[in-house]
Formats: sequence, structure tokens, C-alpha cells
Amino acid sequence: MAESGSGAADKSVQVKLVLLGEAAVGKSSIVLRFVSNEFQANKEPTIGAAFLTQKCRLEDRVLRYEIWDTAGQERFHSLAPMYYRNAQAAVVVYDVTKASSLEKAKSWVKELQRQANPNIVIALAGNKVDLVQPSPSASGSGSAVESEDEADDATATPGENAAAAEQPESLRQVPRDEAEAYAKEAGLLFFETSAKTGEGVVEIFTEIAKKIPIEHILASSRGTGRPGAAGRSGGAQEGGVNLEENAAKGKDACNC
Amino acid sequence: MSETHFEVIVLGTGLTESITAAALSKAGFKVAHLDENPYYGGDEASLTLDELAQWADERTLSSSASEPSRYAAAQRAKFRSVSRSGSVLPNSRQYSLSLSPSVIPSNGPATSSLIGSGVSRYGGYKLLERIAVFDRLGKVRNVPGSKEDVFKSKDLSLVDKRRLMRFLMFASGEFEGKPELAGNETTPFPDFLRNKFSLKQDVIDAITYALAFCTSSFDPTLPALHRIRRYLLSSGRYGASPFLVGQYGGAGEIAQGFCRASAVHGGVYILGRKILSITHIELSSPPDGTEPAFSLQLDDLEDRLTADLIISSPDYVSPELRSIAGLLPPDTLDASQGTSSVARCIAIFDGPVIFPTSPSQQTLAGSEDPSLTSADADLPVESDAEPQSKVDTAVLVFPPGSLPGASATASATVLLTGEGTMSTPAGKCIAYISMPIDSQDSTPCSAETLLKPYLQATLSSVTTISTPPEALFSVFYTINGHRELYPRLSTADSSSRVLVTPPSSPLLPESMDDAACNAEALFRHAVHLLRPGQAGTVEGLWPPLENQDEEEDSW
Repeated sequence: MAESGSGAADKSVQVKLVLLGEAAVGKSSIVLRFVSNEFQANKEPTIGAAFLTQKCRLEDRVLRYEIWDTAGQERFHSLAPMYYRNAQAAVVVYDVTKASSLEKAKSWVKELQRQANPNIVIALAGNKVDLVQPSPSASGSGSAVESEDEADDATATPGENAAAAEQPESLRQVPRDEAEAYAKEAGLLFFETSAKTGEGVVEIFTEIAKKIPIEHILASSRGTGRPGAAGRSGGAQEGGVNLEENAAKGKDACNC
Repeated sequence: MSETHFEVIVLGTGLTESITAAALSKAGFKVAHLDENPYYGGDEASLTLDELAQWADERTLSSSASEPSRYAAAQRAKFRSVSRSGSVLPNSRQYSLSLSPSVIPSNGPATSSLIGSGVSRYGGYKLLERIAVFDRLGKVRNVPGSKEDVFKSKDLSLVDKRRLMRFLMFASGEFEGKPELAGNETTPFPDFLRNKFSLKQDVIDAITYALAFCTSSFDPTLPALHRIRRYLLSSGRYGASPFLVGQYGGAGEIAQGFCRASAVHGGVYILGRKILSITHIELSSPPDGTEPAFSLQLDDLEDRLTADLIISSPDYVSPELRSIAGLLPPDTLDASQGTSSVARCIAIFDGPVIFPTSPSQQTLAGSEDPSLTSADADLPVESDAEPQSKVDTAVLVFPPGSLPGASATASATVLLTGEGTMSTPAGKCIAYISMPIDSQDSTPCSAETLLKPYLQATLSSVTTISTPPEALFSVFYTINGHRELYPRLSTADSSSRVLVTPPSSPLLPESMDDAACNAEALFRHAVHLLRPGQAGTVEGLWPPLENQDEEEDSW
């Protein structure tokens, strides 16, 4: 809340970014790397927040990413329209060691083109590239693998990948060229990333920031009342009400 | 415990069920939340135009070859007299059409739940700009929303103002035990206003139908006074208007928000699959506490899901389950609301919506500052050429007998929402019309016959649409009153393992608060059943939100 009270927040542009991708490709890990520059091999399920926010500086502008996780609701194809609503950016993640995850990513891109706002900036990220790089530390245990049976992104857990130790490149199932060609054809930004080493992660968010039509967002946010989906910034804008203002008055209001 | 076992399975993603699921997940229970519809919100969903057309068709057309599920059959019994326009408009996806139109009192259980759970941050809210009455002369008159408005009114004589002020002071205070009320608790509310406060008829109409949202001239005094007091106490929290309008279709969007809150706390969501069977497993006696009580078979899902407790919308409860089911909380709706059926219309038309301008706005004529439009006092206007101004959200109330050819006994309310609520494409508006109907009527009219006059009167008095006033798209339907559909369930006790959610009031400003209250009762009962030892340790419905800054940087 300190931010919204300070002058700096007024100049920042709020951008809602949604994460999509098959279970266990490392969506949460990428965000954790971006937001707190951490990688947790034994990441505890740290569930409970609506979304993460992270500022991204771009020349004279500050973008404030509001990053929404699927919270597992994609598992049975039960993502709410609310999830896509007003998203200005999306990161669709696949796992370079799992061919089927790229196919799933392609279907998410289609879904975004159907459900989301037509100007949405989409980035395709091939994660876990550390597993296919010949590096002494690439052996298994610490890789960005989420457990398969816990599809809930918010409960990312470490996986075992002992096989990675020997011939890393042989683990690769998605050639970079193939994914990149698809991304180009579909008009997506493309990256190969490693949430574990940090490779490519910040780049996703800075490249998205460059492509976001900031002026358009500023202009339209004046008209619509809120830039992202969060109500908290809406209070100051046209006709919008921030429910958390005057919240103290609302205690004990239950009349039943 | 296995992956397919849950402490609670919640059936239906209506608002009550969704708030309950969120509270249970946040309290650490393992929850699965199911809905046969491919969308969130159940009977409170907010739908795209295509989805609404399909919703109507599924409840009109003769049953397809396949056996309808328990839910589908229950829906057909609940929604009757469904009719819709033939052609659907373009930009279907830009519509968010609510099956449960509502406004939210700024101070009440619903706003407390939205704030306490953090769900308020997912959505957007606007203040309701106007409440107006269609009077017996066929004029639209703004209703004063606060005591201050009454002072400024040019419509009332000094004597009338004094009488009205005396009533408002009475209604906003501790009226219980006051001599005016004694013995009059069940007196028809308009009679009470006339006898005890000597108010004149148009003021009585405004108070009865647009302030207390009574549905007929027989509504009892005490519940009406309770409503008025709550609404008066809601005024001023976020602005002069006591009510909020949720963006993107209101209740359905808010249900989605609570479901998301449940999901980020581990709740598992499965939508769009038929529930083939719910089996009650007879526990070995004495039960050793390790066996699940229920087993559910879902279409296209190999593993059965098991649960210790089921919380369900009535539509999913089979006759076999009914014997072990209990309604919770006890059905407290007063008879006039609980038993009545409701006729509804959802109509899309070309905006803008135009209401009489209030005097305070006239002095600011030409001002485009929207905060003035939404926050300013609304006053009755009486002049020859009434100035008018555009509004984005409004409620228009038709007292009984105000519209020739329409109901002489029931009031109809119309909620109007425009593009500012993000529920229509630019330039389009939605009218939601609701009217209680007497289900005992031996010759029931169709919803369309009943409500068409209100739709036409609304369009001709608050829009610029030239005659004939036709909507671009409309759906009409009736919702069968609760008690006719379900045999009375007993109130849930400690042996009930199926908790059935009660209906919410159909009144515009009551349905969301009802859902929040009912959800709290369900939550507490569930905690009591599942963790008997810990029931006392759960203090509120919502655990305190973490420090704001911390929360922003953690999942």
C-alpha cells in the first residue's frame, strides 16, 4: 500500500500478466526467479496470495507487473474468464525436455487468442534449459521440476531428475529452432529459460515491457477505470470504488 | 489421504457455495469444488450473450435423447416459461449478463466478505448512481438517498419534509421497543407509514418500494425497517449512494473471485462434468473415522472422488441423499420472499440511459466530472422542462399499480447497467427486470406477458429509443419458488453429512448479503463437524490478511 500512496506509483503503469502452461513446466519457478531472484529446489507450497507484483524499469517508465498464477484451475480446464480478463501480457511456458508440453503451450496460445484481449503480448518460454546444457551443476536434483501429481502451480515442489546427469543434450525433446519458428509464425516473443540459473528470465519481462503499448494502456485506463484487474488501483479513477478504503467501518457488519 | 479424497466436496459454484469453499480452503481444509456447468456461478453466473442464449435454450427445448442429470432435471423444474429473441447480437463475448442481478450494500456481510477474503481486489465496483420511482403519473422521479437530500428537496412541503425526516431518524436508529413500532411489527408497511408518520402517498411509495424494496403493499413492517436501517447505514461509506454495482456482471464475477481465492489455497476445481452418482457409504459401526462417507462418480473421470462432507446446492441433491441432508442455515427468509416465484427479464438495448437531473447537478451543468454524477445527491425534480442527464447505473422501481396494464399487487424493479460496468460493448445497456409472482395463481401468465409492459415503459421513459420501444435482445423466464421444488428439509444437525445451501432473497440489495451470511453459517457448521475439537478456535470467516506489502511479494 505504501506504493500507491507515494508519487512514484502514479507514473507506473500497471500490467496484468497471466501465466499458462502444462503442469510442472516451471511456471511458478520462473516468476519466483523474476520477483525475488530466487530458486528454491525444495520449494514449499507457498500458497495464499492473489497475485505477485514486481516493478520493471524501462527507460523513463516503470511497469508494475501484476502476475497471476493459474492456481491449478487449469488442471480440469476450469480457468475462469476472470483470469484472462484485462490481461495485457501472457507468458506461456513449456518444458524443453518434454515435447508434449509444447503442444499444450500451443493450445494455450489459441485459447488466449480466443479469450483474451486482442492486443495481448504473448511470450513463449522454453524452460529448464539448464537440463540440456553441459554444465557440472546441471545434474539432477536441483532442477526446476514440479511434481507431476500436484498440478497446482502454487504448490510447486521439487522433482528428481537424476537422468539429467549424463548426456544433457539428449534430454532435449523440443529443438530450439522448431519452437522459435512456431513463435515467429504465431507472433510471439520467444525465449529459452532456466528458472534454476536465471538464464533468460528477466529478459522475458523486459522484452514484454518494450512491446506493451503503454500509451494505449494509459489512455484506456482513464476511460475504463482500472488498468489491470485489481480493484485497489481503481478507487482513484472514474466512478470506481476501492472497497478497502474505509474498510474499518465495515467490521461486524453481519446482520444475520 | 489419497489424491481423490477430500474433506469437503462442494457442489455448485453459486455465490454461497463459492464463499463457503473459499473460507474452508483458507482455513486449511482439503476442498474439491464441482459444477456441471462449464462456467462458474451456477444460478448466479454472469454469462456471455451466446452462453445466455444457450442457457435459455437448454431450459426450453425438449429434452435431448440422453438421460438428463439430476442437476439438469432440477434446473428445468426451477426455470420455467423461458423465452428469448431469435437472433443473437454481435460481440457476444463483450457481454457479462447476470442471472442474479444485484446491488451490494456498502456496509454489510457481502462487502465484509469481499474485503476480508481479499477478493475485492480481483474485481471492480462502482457506486449505484440513481434510484428512481416510476410514479402513478408515469413520471420517473429520483429518490432521495440520504437525509441531506431531503433538506434540499424542492418537491416536498416543509411539513412533509419534517414528517419524512422524523421517519428517517426513526428508521436509522434503535427502533426496537419504540412506541411507534409496538404492536405493528407485522402491519403492512405502507399502512404503518401512513398511520404513524402521516406521510403522503408518493412518499410512502418511494419509501416502501425504493428504500425498503418491498414487493407488495402487504409486506410486514419490521423486516422492511431492518432493511431500511441497513441501507441508511451503508450510505456514505464510499459515497452518497448506499449501494455498489459489481463490474463484469456482478455476482457471477464475484463467485469466480471466491473460487480463485479457494484455488490459491489449494481448492481443486472441476467444471463442466456431469455428476453421474453420489453414493453414501454406510460406515462400519462404530465408525472408526477413517472411512469416507461419500463417493462421487464423474463423467469422463476415471477415479471416484470421496468426501467426508458434502455441501451442495439443492439442485444436486438426489432423493436418496435427502434423507441424510439438512438445510443450513435454517431457512429464515420470511414467508413473502421464501415462497414466492420471480419473473425475470434480461434485455439489451441501445444506450444511453437518461434520468432527470437533480438540482445540485444542474448548477454544475456541463460538468463531465463523473465523480459528481455518481456521488452527488439525487433529488426529486419538479419543473416544466425537466433537464436530464446520462447515467450508467440506476434502479427504477415500479410500485404496484403504477403501470396501467401491469401488476396491481406486486412491485417490479429494474436494474440498468451500461458500458461503465464493463458488462456490455460500448453504447449498449442492459435492463434486468424482476417481479415476484403469485405462484398460487391458477392461470399463470408467461414471464414475457407479465414483464413486457415494464420493459416497454422503461425503454420509453429512460432512453432515447423511438417508438416502438423494442429491445435488441431479450430473455424472459420465471424462477420457481424454493419450497415448491424441494420438500422441506430439516435443519442440519450434527448427524447431517450433506449440507444444503438455502436460497438467497431475490431482492436486488439482499441476495449478496444473504449469500455471505449463509456461507458463514455453512462454514461454521462444517468446521464443527469436521474438527469438533477445534471449532472454538476458528474466530472469523476469514483469517486476517497478511501484511499488504508482504503479501504482494509472496504467493
